[in-house]
Amino acid sequence: MKTKKSQNSATIKINKLLAPIISSRDVAEVLEDTIKKTDNKSVVLDFSNVKFISRSAAHALLLLKEKFESKVLNKKELSFINADNDVAEMLRIVAANRAFPRVKKPEFNPEKTDITSLLKEATA
Amino acid sequence: MIVLNIGTMKNIVIPKPSSESLIAQLGSLYSVLKNVNFGERLEFDLSSLDWVIPLLILPISAYINETQSKFRIDECSIKGYLEKISFPRGVSSISSFQRQIQKHKSYIPISILDKKEKIDRERLEALFSEKIFKTLGNVAGAQNAICYPIAELVTNIFEHSKKDSGFIFGQFYSTKNYLDICIVDCGRGLTKTYKEEKGLILTDAEAISEAMKGNSVKKDKERGYGIRTSKNIICKAFKGGGFILLSGSCALVSVRQKEKLVSLPNFYWQGTIITYRIPKPTASIDISSYIE
Repeated sequence: MKTKKSQNSATIKINKLLAPIISSRDVAEVLEDTIKKTDNKSVVLDFSNVKFISRSAAHALLLLKEKFESKVLNKKELSFINADNDVAEMLRIVAANRAFPRVKKPEFNPEKTDITSLLKEATA
Repeated sequence: MIVLNIGTMKNIVIPKPSSESLIAQLGSLYSVLKNVNFGERLEFDLSSLDWVIPLLILPISAYINETQSKFRIDECSIKGYLEKISFPRGVSSISSFQRQIQKHKSYIPISILDKKEKIDRERLEALFSEKIFKTLGNVAGAQNAICYPIAELVTNIFEHSKKDSGFIFGQFYSTKNYLDICIVDCGRGLTKTYKEEKGLILTDAEAISEAMKGNSVKKDKERGYGIRTSKNIICKAFKGGGFILLSGSCALVSVRQKEKLVSLPNFYWQGTIITYRIPKPTASIDISSYIE
């Protein structure tokens, strides 16, 4: 397990566990297993050298944070450090959307056609 | 397209694409797979090709891998290129991807992402994204803008297709300064996903519309953004980008700020095909307003 323990908290260096570009929700599963193995009440996730986090992965990570913080048994506080601007911004946007979800569904009104007409129009 | 029946296996001669536009690429794919019963074994004859386009070469690779179909490239003038991009088997490990890009520096190999190998799949996807990023150059915000659609669209494949593998390929056109990326799966497709997960009976066109409106098959209300936000980044943040999403017998074509749902009669792709074009960025890109 790639954790560094201080007196009160354990620090997990994410780049030792995951790719520098974090894409999928699987991030939560991998981190959950590692976090569970720590015996500290506070766990710090260190984003040093993480270049990108997707919206999906950021969402999964925030859900994981809520999950650990709402536990009765084995409750842990998760905090994030050393995230670069882009990674931090993604986490902020997803957290804001979670707090204030969009109510109105987006509109989608495409024109309908068939492939023959589309190809004709494109070559006209 | 010329179709010959040799024994029980259809021989499909793949014609030269008429142009490199995304719509022409869709036309080429349609002409190749029209009247094919998805899953039947075919023999693809690539002899007459003298250049390739991602929306043709990646679905054919996926089809060959999925159905154990055959292919013929011996007399093809771009046989060397096809070998450099690892057509049709692709590369599925970090070491083989690194070997290929070390050996053929300006070519990006067809990559096969394996659902079960979570960490290694992410690392292979990261290598792919970094290669694309290096190819397109470094302007502020470009890394985010390049990684976002790849990450979200690949994630979408693994969350919904019920297949263990997905295919991804990219090709940079250095004289035209744009890059095409194609992502393919041979899974259950959007229509079947809505039916199995939400009990919705939809046509392929309706299923694409629901996906674009953010109707997620998952419970969380903040989900279902991946495809729409990716399309918006491609078409709006990258000025001049274009996007196609195909599932079953329908495709969404979003080019030059126009969106069309295009029916593809006598054509059926079991799964999803996404292709998009992004111009090489020349100024900083900010995707934050498109993420939602």
